Amino acid sequence: MKKTLVLILVVMLAVTLAACGGSNSKEPAKESNTTGNAANGSKEASPEQEKVEIIITNGKGEIASQWEQAAKDFMAENPNITVVAQSQAVGDTLSILDKLTASGETVTVAMLEPSGVLNKYKDFGIDLSNEKWNEETKDGFKNADGQIVGFPFAIEGFGLVYNKKVVEKAVGGTFDPFSINTRDKLKELLDKIKASGVKYPIAYQTEAWSVSNHYSTQFLNQVEDGSTIVAQLKEGKFDLAGNAVWNGYYDTMDLLASADYNKYGERPLGQYYDDAHLSVGKGESAMLFNGNWAFDSLKAVAGDSFGFIPVPVDNNPDNPLNNKIVAGPTQILVINKDATPAQQEAGKKFLNWLVYEKAGQDFLVNKSQIISAFKNNPNKVTNPLGAAIADAVAQGKTMPFSTNYVTADDWYKIIGPDVQKYIVKKQTREGLAKAIQTYYTSKK
Amino acid sequence: MIAEKSIIKRLGNQLFFTGPTMVLFTVAVLVPFAYGFYLTLMKMTSPVSPLEFSGIANYRSAFNDPQFWDSMWLTVKYVGATIVFVNVIGFALAYLVTSGIRSQNFFRTALFTPNLIGGLVLGYIWQFIFVQSLPMIGEKLGIEVLRLGWLGDELLAFWALVIVTIWQSAGYMMIIFIAGLISVPRDIIEASTIDGANGWQRLVKMTLPLMIPSFVVTVFLTLKNAFMVYDINFALTEGGPYNSTMMVSMHVVQKAFLEVNYGVGQAEAIILFVIVAVVTGLQVYFSKRMEVQA
Amino acid sequence: MAVRRLASLSITYALLVVAFVCFTFPFFLLIVNSFKTNGDILENPFSIPKVLDFSRFSEVIEKMNFLVTFKNTFVITTLSVILILILSAMTAHYLVRNATKFNQTFFAILVASMIIPFQSIMIPLIYIYGAKLNLIETAPVTLLIALYIGFGSAFSVFIYHGFIKSIPLELEEASLIDGCTRRQTFFKIVLPMLAPTSVTIAILNVLWIWNDYLLPSLILTKEQDFTMPIKMKVFNGTYMNDWQLLIPAILLTILPILVAYLIGQRYIIRGVMQGAIK
Repeated sequence: MKKTLVLILVVMLAVTLAACGGSNSKEPAKESNTTGNAANGSKEASPEQEKVEIIITNGKGEIASQWEQAAKDFMAENPNITVVAQSQAVGDTLSILDKLTASGETVTVAMLEPSGVLNKYKDFGIDLSNEKWNEETKDGFKNADGQIVGFPFAIEGFGLVYNKKVVEKAVGGTFDPFSINTRDKLKELLDKIKASGVKYPIAYQTEAWSVSNHYSTQFLNQVEDGSTIVAQLKEGKFDLAGNAVWNGYYDTMDLLASADYNKYGERPLGQYYDDAHLSVGKGESAMLFNGNWAFDSLKAVAGDSFGFIPVPVDNNPDNPLNNKIVAGPTQILVINKDATPAQQEAGKKFLNWLVYEKAGQDFLVNKSQIISAFKNNPNKVTNPLGAAIADAVAQGKTMPFSTNYVTADDWYKIIGPDVQKYIVKKQTREGLAKAIQTYYTSKK
Repeated sequence: MIAEKSIIKRLGNQLFFTGPTMVLFTVAVLVPFAYGFYLTLMKMTSPVSPLEFSGIANYRSAFNDPQFWDSMWLTVKYVGATIVFVNVIGFALAYLVTSGIRSQNFFRTALFTPNLIGGLVLGYIWQFIFVQSLPMIGEKLGIEVLRLGWLGDELLAFWALVIVTIWQSAGYMMIIFIAGLISVPRDIIEASTIDGANGWQRLVKMTLPLMIPSFVVTVFLTLKNAFMVYDINFALTEGGPYNSTMMVSMHVVQKAFLEVNYGVGQAEAIILFVIVAVVTGLQVYFSKRMEVQA
Repeated sequence: MAVRRLASLSITYALLVVAFVCFTFPFFLLIVNSFKTNGDILENPFSIPKVLDFSRFSEVIEKMNFLVTFKNTFVITTLSVILILILSAMTAHYLVRNATKFNQTFFAILVASMIIPFQSIMIPLIYIYGAKLNLIETAPVTLLIALYIGFGSAFSVFIYHGFIKSIPLELEEASLIDGCTRRQTFFKIVLPMLAPTSVTIAILNVLWIWNDYLLPSLILTKEQDFTMPIKMKVFNGTYMNDWQLLIPAILLTILPILVAYLIGQRYIIRGVMQGAIK
């Protein structure tokens, strides 16, 4: 009997638990100036100063703890602003911004990828053209109308990541990565590396985002503003197969993926990301195609001797495409137009804090190892690939981050597989050109 | 059937026994599902975009999405492959660990451990095996099929998925079979032993028919899990090479959240639900009939 | 006879040892790699650690705020599972013993709901309980437990349903004739008989809720409510996971379940033994 009683009690507890969920829903209205209820925060004028609460979201999962600390540091300097820092968890299907918005919260400052600013969230942000920080950067992110709506949070770049020790041993002395400014010179270098005893100089990892979003968009840099080519593609007026630059990049890709040089040449597709970085890190291969974030993986096995070689497109040493590294803003902060004016002001203050305050500058570059887009930031990243990008930026040896001209998710999902098929020769180059053109003409 | 005479008592018992489950089930599943269905009738590019009625347009695009049907067909093949292997191996394991050997408890625990390790790590471990370990073994022992990484080949990558699935769920099904096997009355088995039936005859003639209720459960679970596979697919092959191993759930998720086509993705999820409902419904119906005959 | 027995015994053992090696090596990999650095892990996950370095365990415990997150996970899991067990057993029992049209339909709907892809109700869920009712803000843990019972009941009722049918009706009828009420009969006669099934269902539910990431990631927004799978995400990077912390974290997370499973196992055996003695 006792047992039964206990069990019934537990069941009743269940019912009350479920019920108290329901009854609680009425209470929050009174005490909800804690989080989320944005309107309250700004209306409620406290005696001394208006208090305001903002939510800021971070899309780079790996800097979650720094992001939180930045919010705390900012609050310490701005006691009337409460900042709730939220971070995207890596691998989530639903973005942190969509999640919070769907559950009824108003995010004031959101970190987005460039293609998100231009497509999915094109009506999200407010005009930031008149912000003072525009004086310190040329990378203020423009919407389709040319208005600055985005704060460039991070600069990133990609190219051929190489292991300095292996390459220097092969060439016998110091090596200037910018000396490789034709495809033939690259081939020559690969042969030298092979001759020095490295069986496969390249470990070519072929994730869709790498071969498609990054590698296959490079041809857009043949004109100053790649979006003009995209516009022509949409009208069906750009012939990829007849374009020398477009073909040139695939000639280089054939070289990178060939069985002569590539560790995975016999079966170029497969989940080789970790293995490729391990090989280059340990010096079993000399180079791979990736961006500055490759250092996250490389550092697990090796120290600091890495750099970038530009991806050559042809054999003309004077072609700027052969002499520059692709780099540009890849994470953009935007301010929500649906936030209250007070929240927007607080959001702007946070952006200024990142640019002008010591703590903000320190958070961005030293703590998060992000290459700043702002020339007044005195700090330097210490990771070698980041430093290589920063140096190239300083010397003017960069060209735009070509992925920013395209819809990143589409290129990953729709065009990526076609590029991969091309790599394993299940798709001709003409077929690939046609696939990209069809994607654009059918999309409009 | 036990029936009370008074209607009030009966209603009271119905509410007492099934009420809480009904309420919570409605709250957690039925209401969101109904709302989700309502969303498929809307034009939505992102989960947070404003609603705009569009009728059955989303369903029309879903039916005309060739990738959706490709991934569905692939999933059907995968379902077929896993259902057989997972159940046969799961039952064999359960049979071995209930045969009365001394360390059976230890084995029961050990064989279940794959279930303790979820998604990401599992994907990493198996990626390492397929990308690095097996090729190394292949090279050393001269086994051609192992020499190159499996995940770069359409067919081999598919079988890699099947293998990892078997490995992950056989232990899970094992413990459901164990629950069934130990409730098989021992006197029946003992009686047949005295009658001179050998091990194999005992298994086929006595044990298996009594295990049909367990098989109904495990086949249903493998069927459902296989149709809805996402984690392993995402962690091991990411749908590659060139989307050739993209199963239907992964396609739906990508449609909704990556391609920024939430309405169509949601509609495809509903179509998937209907297909799986029909298939599993048939399975449960026919196996219940078998149960009755047995 | 003895020879044949020996032969079949050794075949059984041989098969089990093969299965053992195939099924448990990842677990050993977890143990082995939780003592290694990122470099050593990537280079060869099968290598034995050079030194037994426990320092990363303490780092994990600190970074995950382990005591708090462990407590959260424990409370959410135990409350949800206990309630799922009792409520589902009650429901399943009633559905079997009173197979009216209504109850059969309810059972069919429950079973059908198991094949709803979670991704398709994820947005509606946070929209209804977040934007509309604001429960995500005000009562996240209660909401989460209620949702777990709601999601978990289908599977648990389904399994109980199958096993309750095999319990002879006579026992219950006898108890009713003795003057027990319906409810007393259930708790005194039926529920104890369901013990082995309950342990199985409990294990499967504990496993699911303990390791679940998606649902809590949608419902829990405040640091102090976080469960272990959510906290573990701090070790995931976009391009490179911090394996040297992630692996010890996983090990620490699954150890409690392993222990629970061991205890549960023993309980099943005891239940069966008692049944046999009777």
